Amino acid sequence: MTSRKGTWNRLAEPAAVIVRWVVGALFIYMGLRKALAPVDFLKLVREYDLVQTPLLLNSVAAILPWFEVFCGVLLVAGVAVRGTAAVLIAMLIPFTVLVVQRALELHSGGTPFCAIRFDCGCGAGEVYICNKIAENVALVLLSAWLLAGRGRALALRFSLGRTPPAAS
Amino acid sequence: MKKILLEAILVGAAGILLAWLANAVSPRGLVLTRNYFPDGTGRMAQHPSNTDPASPAGTNALALRIAQLGFRPVDRETVVQLHNDPFFAQELIVFIDARDEAHYAEGHIPGALVFDHYHPEKHLADVLLACERAEQIVVYCTGGDCEDSVFAAVTLKDAGVAPGKLMIYAGGIEDWRRNGLPVETGARNSGRIAP
Repeated sequence: MTSRKGTWNRLAEPAAVIVRWVVGALFIYMGLRKALAPVDFLKLVREYDLVQTPLLLNSVAAILPWFEVFCGVLLVAGVAVRGTAAVLIAMLIPFTVLVVQRALELHSGGTPFCAIRFDCGCGAGEVYICNKIAENVALVLLSAWLLAGRGRALALRFSLGRTPPAAS
Repeated sequence: MKKILLEAILVGAAGILLAWLANAVSPRGLVLTRNYFPDGTGRMAQHPSNTDPASPAGTNALALRIAQLGFRPVDRETVVQLHNDPFFAQELIVFIDARDEAHYAEGHIPGALVFDHYHPEKHLADVLLACERAEQIVVYCTGGDCEDSVFAAVTLKDAGVAPGKLMIYAGGIEDWRRNGLPVETGARNSGRIAP
């Protein structure tokens, strides 16, 4: 039992570093794809019908992609990892709810739920809704793992405050 | 926990500030105060049945909206007639492609002017000059659930073009291509016509 736990602890840290890099790289990629085609992203944000005033709508479409890139860079570099992971979770959960709501809107037209495919504005083009939900759940869980204090190795400044003791 | 929350707030604030700056310096950045969807009638594609102008619901919704705005919806037959009209060569009938430059260069209705209303500073002056002379103006975009032709027409109307001159070809370039009509690639009057 002890040796199993020891093996897990030995493997968990490098795995968490890889997770940090992968999640960070994914956010950089997705963010850049949107930031380089802001008008396309603006049209997709409008489809969600969340905000009506041009200033708010434009602000969401202009700021969100670069914000994702920023969070991705922080994760890859290993700066403020737990704070960044918390921010990502705070973005991913409501975004997933919105995507599901939009999918349900389309589902009411009679299409089977998992056959629904649309461009949710995630930066990956058209995706099947069930795949998107699975991907977002995975991202939330991985971010939560980083939030728990994993992935310290090769981090430039894991915590902006005083570094807390490593998670065991 | 408090530390993490503070760190998250700091990341959020720095991220918003940097993202705002990145948008401001990016040549593709959005102008935050501009109304990019100027028709004021809200999102058309509220329901899947409204996203396809070929469907009766889609056709009715789009036609109603175009009429509400004071424009005339036109079908492919009328558009072909206008394109073949001798007035087209005299630029008394003008076609306007409301997509961006990249899509325009990939293929547009021969002789159409490009007008990406999301970046009006690029072509508005040339387009307005052509619209001033023209008696009839056909505006189109991709087709399908594309609304850019409507927004471009509203932008032109707001810039002083008489709405009575403006016609919307909702089928767009997709409908044009689907029916085997010729498209021009590259710049306007490039002479590169694809069947």
